[in-house]
Amino acid sequence: MSIARIKILLISIAVLALGLLYYLYNPVGHSFFPECPFYALTGLDCPGCGSQRALYALLHGHLLQAAAYNLLFVLALPFIIYSAVIFAGNHLFGKRWNQNIFYKPWFAKVALVFILLFWILRNVPFSCFHWMAA
Amino acid sequence: MEQSIPPQNTGIPPVRPKNWLVESILVTIFCCLPFGIAGIVFASQVNSKYDAGDYASAEKASRQAKTWTLVAFIIGIASALIWIIIAMTTTFFSAMFNHHFYP
Repeated sequence: MSIARIKILLISIAVLALGLLYYLYNPVGHSFFPECPFYALTGLDCPGCGSQRALYALLHGHLLQAAAYNLLFVLALPFIIYSAVIFAGNHLFGKRWNQNIFYKPWFAKVALVFILLFWILRNVPFSCFHWMAA
Repeated sequence: MEQSIPPQNTGIPPVRPKNWLVESILVTIFCCLPFGIAGIVFASQVNSKYDAGDYASAEKASRQAKTWTLVAFIIGIASALIWIIIAMTTTFFSAMFNHHFYP
């Protein structure tokens, strides 16, 4: 078994286990779900704050609720799935797919600017930005 | 899979270095730490420097992207584990004390 296949196996097990955990337990009201260290230290939302609640909402089919907890998480998910499908296709089924979009200079820059803007705006205390907060 | 042939015709270009973009976005979303953002900054440098033909700098940016992504990942996992241990011990002790001393 190649390293890539072991990696795919371990990641699949972790994704299934975490998927089940976040399907069964709502992070709201269960104290064992870890709180963001950045939020705990500063009281500000980081770009990842709300991801656990967003995942719970998404697994129960509440897309808009998930986006309200963390818009970045919902927007990034299709790209992460796309990347995972290409990785699995290349290493399990002998395809030679290219992860082209991630290697375009503009894509990385757009992602960076979007994440930084999201981080700043979700902490701005004006009511027009409240929907972005976790 | 990550290799693609760049437009330059100056000799044979080296293999395009891994840019760690997806991994750094993942740690930014899940490990809740701004270190992932440093990973994304270097990931974007890998792309632009490779396309500019500066292969040595692209390779260097790739290593830095990897370092920051791993730092964010390890700190994220460690802080989550610490949180879970604290949550479990406080639950355990409060249950124990409530039972024995406040029946």
